[in-house]
Amino acid sequence: MKGLPIILAVVMTAGLAVPCAVAQEKFPSRPITMIVPFPPGGVADQTARPVAAALEKVLKQPVVVSNRQGAGGAVGMAATANAKPDGYTIMTALSSISVIPEADKLFDRQPAYQMSQLAPIALVSADPTILVVPADSPWKTVAEFVADAKARPGQISYSSSGLYGTLHLAMEMFAHAAGIKLKHVPFNGAGPAMTALLGGHVQALASGPGVVIPQIQAGKLRALGNWGPKRISAMPDVPTFQELGYKEVEFLIWAGVFAPAGTPEPILKTLRDAMGQAVQDAEFKSAMDKLQTPIAYLDAPEFKKFWDADAQAMAKAVKNIGRVD
Amino acid sequence: MADTLANLALGFSVALSPEVLLFAVIGCLVGTLVGMLPGVGPLAGISLLLPATFGLSPTTAIVLLAGIYYGAMYGGSTTSILMRIPGEAASVMTCVDGYAMTQQGRAGPALAIAAFGSFIGGTLSIIALMLLAPPLASLALKFGPPEYFALLTLGLIVLAFLSGGSMAKSLAMAALGLFSGTIGIDLMSGYMRFQYGIVALGDGIGIVPVAVGLFGVSEILLAAGRAVPPKPQRPKLAELVPTRDDLRRSVGPIGRSTVLGFLIGIVPGSAHIISSFVSYALERRLSKTPERFGKGAVEGVAGPETANNAAACGAFVPMLALGVPSGPIPAVMLAALMVHGIAPGPLLMEQQPSLFWGFVASMYVGNLVLLALNLPMVGLFVNLLRVPYAYLYPAILMFSVLGVYAAGQNVIDVWIMIAMGGLGYVLRKLDFEVAPIVLGLVLAPMIETALRQSLAMSSGDYAIFLTRPIAAGLLGVALVLLVINLLPSRNWRAQLGIEN
Repeated sequence: MKGLPIILAVVMTAGLAVPCAVAQEKFPSRPITMIVPFPPGGVADQTARPVAAALEKVLKQPVVVSNRQGAGGAVGMAATANAKPDGYTIMTALSSISVIPEADKLFDRQPAYQMSQLAPIALVSADPTILVVPADSPWKTVAEFVADAKARPGQISYSSSGLYGTLHLAMEMFAHAAGIKLKHVPFNGAGPAMTALLGGHVQALASGPGVVIPQIQAGKLRALGNWGPKRISAMPDVPTFQELGYKEVEFLIWAGVFAPAGTPEPILKTLRDAMGQAVQDAEFKSAMDKLQTPIAYLDAPEFKKFWDADAQAMAKAVKNIGRVD
Repeated sequence: MADTLANLALGFSVALSPEVLLFAVIGCLVGTLVGMLPGVGPLAGISLLLPATFGLSPTTAIVLLAGIYYGAMYGGSTTSILMRIPGEAASVMTCVDGYAMTQQGRAGPALAIAAFGSFIGGTLSIIALMLLAPPLASLALKFGPPEYFALLTLGLIVLAFLSGGSMAKSLAMAALGLFSGTIGIDLMSGYMRFQYGIVALGDGIGIVPVAVGLFGVSEILLAAGRAVPPKPQRPKLAELVPTRDDLRRSVGPIGRSTVLGFLIGIVPGSAHIISSFVSYALERRLSKTPERFGKGAVEGVAGPETANNAAACGAFVPMLALGVPSGPIPAVMLAALMVHGIAPGPLLMEQQPSLFWGFVASMYVGNLVLLALNLPMVGLFVNLLRVPYAYLYPAILMFSVLGVYAAGQNVIDVWIMIAMGGLGYVLRKLDFEVAPIVLGLVLAPMIETALRQSLAMSSGDYAIFLTRPIAAGLLGVALVLLVINLLPSRNWRAQLGIEN
C-alpha cells in the first residue's frame, strides 16, 4: 500500500498536466486558414465565406478564406491533405473530393492526394441535382424521356460541367439505372453547360436548384426529376428518381469542411463544436437562405458515414463511365 | 423608346445616388490600378475584391465590380504603351504599336488615343446593350460549339495578318503558341497532356505569365544587352496631345472596332480576348500603309483598345438578359448577385429594374469617370519615363513577379514568366514576332474544345459545320480570307519570306 500515494500523485499530476498543456497552447491562438480549392464566386467559395464568418465569431480568431484553385480542385485539396495537421489549415470542399482520386486511379496517375489524408469535420449543405429539359421539348415526364432514349440510344444529348464532374456523374448514374444511353457533351463549368441547354445545342442537363429555378420561372426550362432523397419545396411537383422506382439513384452536390488527417482529437473536437454553433448563427442562416441552399449540417461521425457512402457511389459511377476515348 | 428613356431616368437616379456613384468611382480607380499592375487582370482583380462586396447592396456591389472590369480594360493599356508590359491579355496587341510610339517619344498621344477609343467603344456599346440586349442575347445563344469553332477558325486565319514580317516566321510562332495551348488536362477525355506530373500544369499554361514574359521581360533583357543604355525621356507638354493626323487616322479604327468588339463580346465564352487581335489584324489589312504597323501606327493602338472595351461591355448582354455567364468575369459578377439573394435569370430586368437600369446608367457614368481620370493622368504617367532605367526596370520586374504570382497564387506562373522572358529575348534577337504565340495560346484550348464538342454533338459527323447556317457562313468567310491570302500572287515568295 506504500505505492498508492505515489501512483495517486503520478495520476493526479498527469491529470493536472494535461489541462496545463492545453491551457498553454489553447486552440486557436492565431488566425485559421480556410482553403477553398475553387475560384472566388463558385459554389464552394459562396458557402465557405459565410462558414468562415460564423466560425470566426465562435472561435474568436480570424478565419481567412484562401482560394487555391487549379486542376478541378486537386491543387487545393492536395495542399490541405499535405498541410501541417494542427487545425490552423482547414478546407471547404465539394463532393468532387471523392471523384478526383477515382479519376486518377482510372488513368493510372499518381494521385494528387488520398481521401484518407483528410478528416471530415462537418457537412454544411447538400443540394440535389435536378433534371431539366427545354420547355418546348416533347418530354413531360421521366418515363417519356426514358422511353424516347430507349427508342434511339445515344441520340439524346446532355451537357455537363466537365468530364467526371458532378453534373456528368449525376446524369450517368441515372442513365445507368434506367438502362439508357445518352450523348455527353462536356463543358467547362456549370454556367456554360446551362448556356448550351438554353441555346438548344443539347437536350437535357442535370444541375443544382439555384441555377435551374430562375430559368424554370421564366418559362425556359421544365424540370422532370430530382436526384434528392425527397422533393424540394421550390418544386413540389417534381418527383424524385427514388419515387419513380430508381432506388439507387441519389446524387447530392454537397459542401463540407475538412482538416488534414492526423489533426489531434481535441483540436478536431473544438472545430466540430465550433461548426455546430456556426450553423446556428443567424447571419450564416440568412446567407445560405439567400443562396437558396438549405443547410444540411452533419457532425463528423455522421458526415463520415455520409461521405463514405457517397464516395462509394461516386467510385461506382466513375467506373461505369470508364475511360472516354 | 419612351419606355427606355423612362427606365434610363430611373437608372440614372440610382447611378447618381451618392453611394452608388462613390462605388462606381472607387471601382474605376481600383480597376485602373489592377489593369496597370502587370499580371493582375480584371478577373483576378474582381475575384480578389468579390468578398469585399458582400456587405454592400446588390446594386452597389455589381456597379463596383463592373467598374473594376472596364477600369482594368482602360488601365491595361497604360503599362502596355509605356513599358511594353501587357496588364492583361486583351492589351497584348497594344504593346506592339503603343510601345513603338513611346520609343518615338509619342507616349502621350498613344495614351490619349487609347483613352478616347476606350471611352467611345465603351459608351456606344452601352447604348447598344441598352436598346438591343434581349434580341442580341437570343442571337448569342445560337452560338453553340460549332459556331464557336467557326468563329475561332476565323480568328486563326487572322494570325496570318497579324505581323508585317515573314509569314513563315509568324506561322512558326503561331504553331508554337497552339502547341503550348494543348498542355494540361484534356477536357474531353480527362487525360493529362505534357504535364510531367506537375499538378499545377493541369490547367494549362496561363496566358498572362506568357504575355508578360514574352513582351515585358524580354524587353528588359534586350535593353540590358544594349551597349548604350536607353536614355530616360523628357516629354514636353505639347507632345502629350494627339496631333490632328493622329485623330484623323483613329476615327475609322475606333468606329469599326466598336462594332467588331461588341459583336465578339456578346458571344458566350472567352472569345472577347481575341477581339483586340482581330481588330489589329483588320486595321492592318485595311490600312493603305500596312508597313507602318509594328512601328508606331496610331491605328494599331486605337483599334485594339476600342475593341477590348466594347467587348467588355458586350459580355454583359447574355449576363443581364438571360442570367447566363458569358465568360469567367460575368460568372463572378453573377455569383456576387447570388450572394445577395438575387437569382440571375431571364427575369432579372423585370424583377430588378432599379438594379438593371442602375447598372446600365452607372456604366455611362463609369466611362466618363475613366476618361476624366485617365486624360489628366497621361501627363503623370508619361513622366514615369523620366525615371532612369536602372531604377525603372528592376521595379517593373518586381511588379511583374508580384502581379503574376498574385493573380494565380502559383509559383509555377512566375517560372513560366521568366522562361518566356528568356524565350522572347532569343526570338526577338532572331527577328521573330511574339504576338502570334500569345494568340495561338489563347486559341488552342478554345478551338480544340469547340471542335470536339461539336463532334460529340454530331456523333462524329463533320457535316455539322456545314448544316448550321452561322457556322457555315463563318467558315465560308474564313475560307475566302485564306484563299485571298494564299493565292499565288506576284509577291508570294516575298510573303513567305523565301526570298529574304
